[in-house]
Amino acid sequence: MRLLPIFFCGLGLAACSAPEDPRARGRLVLEYWEKWTGYEGDAIAAVVEDFNNSQERIFVRRLTVSKMDQKLILATSGRNPPDVAGLWNTYLPAYVENNALLPLDRLAAEASIGEEDYIPVFWEMCRHRGHLWALPTTPSVAALHWNKKIFREAGLDPDQPPRTLAELERFNEKITRKNPDGTLDRIGHMPQEPGWWMRDFNRWFGGKVWDGESRLLLDSEPNRRFFAWLETYPRRFGGPAMYRLRGGFGNFASPENPFFTGKVAMVMHGVWLNNFIRNYAPPDFEYGAAAFPADEENPSDPVSVAEADILVIPAGSRHPREAMEFIRYVQSQAAMEKLCLLMKKFTPLREVSPGFLENHPHPYLGVFLELARSPRTAPILNIPSFNEYSNDIETNVNEVLRGALTGEEGRTRLSERQQKALQDKLARWQRVAGIREAAWRRELDEAP
Amino acid sequence: MNSKISRTLVWIALLTVGTLFLLPFGWMVSTSLKPLAETMSVPPRWLPSSPQWHNYPDAMKAMGPFWIYARNTLLLATLNVVGTVLSSALVAYGFSRIDWRGRDRVFFVLLMTMMIPFPVVMVPLYALFRELGWIGTLAPLWVPAFCASAFHVFLLRQFFLTIPRELSEAARIDGCSEWRIFWQIILPLTRPALLTVALFQFMATWNDFLGPLIFLTRQADFTLSLGLQALQSQQGGTAWHHLMAASTLVVLPVLALFFLTQKSFLRGISTTGLK
Amino acid sequence: MSPGESTRLRQGLGFILPWLVGFLFFSLYPLLASLWFSLCDYSVLASPVFIGTKNFTDMATDPVFWQALRNTLAFAFAAIPLGTSLAIGLAILLNQPVRGRGFFRTVFFLPSLVPVISLAILWQWILNGQMGLLNTLLHYPLEWVGHWLGTPCPPPDWLNDPHFALWGLVFTGLWGTGHAMVIYLAGLQEIPAELYEAAELDGTNAWQRFRHVTLPMLSPVIFFNVIMGVIGTLQTFAVPFILTNGGDGPGRSLLFVATYIYQNAFSYWNMGYACSLALFLFLLIALITLWVVRIGEKRVHYAGR
Repeated sequence: MRLLPIFFCGLGLAACSAPEDPRARGRLVLEYWEKWTGYEGDAIAAVVEDFNNSQERIFVRRLTVSKMDQKLILATSGRNPPDVAGLWNTYLPAYVENNALLPLDRLAAEASIGEEDYIPVFWEMCRHRGHLWALPTTPSVAALHWNKKIFREAGLDPDQPPRTLAELERFNEKITRKNPDGTLDRIGHMPQEPGWWMRDFNRWFGGKVWDGESRLLLDSEPNRRFFAWLETYPRRFGGPAMYRLRGGFGNFASPENPFFTGKVAMVMHGVWLNNFIRNYAPPDFEYGAAAFPADEENPSDPVSVAEADILVIPAGSRHPREAMEFIRYVQSQAAMEKLCLLMKKFTPLREVSPGFLENHPHPYLGVFLELARSPRTAPILNIPSFNEYSNDIETNVNEVLRGALTGEEGRTRLSERQQKALQDKLARWQRVAGIREAAWRRELDEAP
Repeated sequence: MNSKISRTLVWIALLTVGTLFLLPFGWMVSTSLKPLAETMSVPPRWLPSSPQWHNYPDAMKAMGPFWIYARNTLLLATLNVVGTVLSSALVAYGFSRIDWRGRDRVFFVLLMTMMIPFPVVMVPLYALFRELGWIGTLAPLWVPAFCASAFHVFLLRQFFLTIPRELSEAARIDGCSEWRIFWQIILPLTRPALLTVALFQFMATWNDFLGPLIFLTRQADFTLSLGLQALQSQQGGTAWHHLMAASTLVVLPVLALFFLTQKSFLRGISTTGLK
Repeated sequence: MSPGESTRLRQGLGFILPWLVGFLFFSLYPLLASLWFSLCDYSVLASPVFIGTKNFTDMATDPVFWQALRNTLAFAFAAIPLGTSLAIGLAILLNQPVRGRGFFRTVFFLPSLVPVISLAILWQWILNGQMGLLNTLLHYPLEWVGHWLGTPCPPPDWLNDPHFALWGLVFTGLWGTGHAMVIYLAGLQEIPAELYEAAELDGTNAWQRFRHVTLPMLSPVIFFNVIMGVIGTLQTFAVPFILTNGGDGPGRSLLFVATYIYQNAFSYWNMGYACSLALFLFLLIALITLWVVRIGEKRVHYAGR
């Protein structure tokens, strides 16, 4: 039969495996999963290379993994996790409570890593239920970015960003251009572009989502104001019109990014946006970065949310000590500054070498550093029911922005469903809390 | 009705619907050859200003280890085809060429299993494979193939039933074992049906998405389906020219296989439906 | 049992052994396990903890589940009749003595071969509100309709509009009716020509011949296809999942029961709840299939039975 040759070809191909790096021979191989591709992937590759060259015992083999949040927990539950992995801080509580990570308290203390080394908000986000679970690699805080050319066109001072939310909305009205048939030509600002901050937007209204224990605070006055603000968008600009405009947006990482093509004049983005501007925006693109304005009359300390990529050691990792050695290397000031410089971000460390700031290519790094250190900057929401909450708030916010729901409806639906989801997750935690905490204490007390 | 008019009307209908059916293919290939900016133009252009053949290697690179994905998919398809053909033939033989007590009742149970939706068994299967340590390997995607597929057993059984009983009886009287009858007499007679099963299974494995999505964790094990989905779900919007190029590449082998085996394929489908 | 019988039993069981093993491990065990898990709180890394019928009561009060159910049923009730009509219609066209039948048969059949990942990504592009193929084709006709009606009729933003997203999905499914069409074509070709000749002699027109000869003779095939369609459509997962990049669609209009099961199992780590949803799906499929079988028993005409 004709299929037989295909069969043997298949087997032949299967026999060929990827070539092994010769330096790995004789060394302990650490499997390291990281999510970064493109220039970010190149940055971590450089640091891994440095580590591999700096000693003879350990060889770190990095694998690029997509959908890390799902893949890592699947692999850990499948009992073949990598030795060390790069995650996002938002998944930390869920992973911890599902017993997917090794507590790092002892290993970090042995490596002389402590709280005093880090900007507070980044140390805070690595802790949960009284233990340390991760260490940050590349941090970010969210800030307003605006298109200076469009400001000029609309008669606004290109060097004066809006300082309150009310001012931002005034600018928004001036900049937004509607076509005669009701569709939008460009818009000053819309919350759903890029739409990555919905979970934390209420911080700019002075509110929190979660009391840290068992209650969601979605009924609080700041959260009501947040949803009321969302409701003004479809009224002013038309729900379908906004989404039609959005349907024509191009890839974030391309010249067709709506911020670069002038379709949206003001966006909230992290410190990484500068990289994409350098790579994809037109050469004459002018932009500014500042704190995203809060909903208040007299702005005081800037408000922001912080997040970070973190390194974790999955439960069941075969070589936790060696994994920690690699993590410690990455956390050293030299390696950290190299990594963050290549990614054009700031570092989560308190200490910054003068050369780092001088040579840094990011024109607004000072803004981001100030935001990271602001007392009103908090870690991004990391509730145990993170996935459910994310999914739900995205749906509800988009429905409100579409004009299909009122702000109140969106808020109450979210609150009801998510309070229950949170409660289920907390109940699950209660059932196993005793066992887990005992296991963690044992893990930490055991001699290596 | 005048048969000439009716024939012309039929032709017009066929032509209209046929064009509508072909347009998506054309659109896919046309987009795959456009530069990125042209894919975003409003109103859209039908044809690229100049075909960007380099989109294809670019898309393959953007997807990651394209050839490894292709190898994995081919490997899985081969294993599944071999497993399904062999095991389904064996089982179908057992249900058709031997008369044993309770046979028809057990066959009814087999038919009923066709109705079990995959989501019902998805979580326990995942837990089972996890206990066996198979999550993160290719095993969950081909080992079950060696346990026969209800649908293919059904198909082959229909074929086996059409072979006269006397043939088996005569062989038994001659002292042949059942195994020999199966292997040397019945199986060669049903080559076309076996080929059909092989083709169906190849297509099904090439097409499989949910299985790889759940059971594969390491990028080195990904199939083309999963690799293509990873390309699609990369952060931000979508690079349509690359996505269309990659989609075309994934479709081509299936189309090629169809054109090579058209007759068997179409015949196989008709038979399943009619019987 | 006589010695002959017991030999045959042994042999029979020997041959079906691969299936028996598979049945035990991959059908029976998972089914029973699912029943157990549905009564538990099961997150992926911990053992299942018995919680009684909480998952089922949660399901009854879960608005997202009801929406997924509505979407799934609405889709099935639209897609199956439309798909069947289209497939039969095309089969009838192809059954006429015209030139190039083979070519058209291939054209109609090819889309049903396209791997689901390519299909979904292609249609995600086709259904794009601004730049997609569908809206390009609809642009001028809708403009004309708009003039005629006096109000503008913009082409819908398919994948962003909760009222139209499901219809976009129906179009995606219709493109793949080639598979069913081939089966109907074979069925049509089995209808003895004498029946048509006799009907013509009786003075019937084409429509009456269709209703009284074609449909009854095709009914067993339609019956089979509709049952397979019900079982398949109610389990729809891959296409909406890929179309929405793993999400729910605008206003959750593309959330299907199977997608919700996947989300609960692998995103929210509520595997117990996922199992209870899956069992409900199983029950739903079984009930609707039974309903179709019940209708079929009265309506389906089996020649020669």
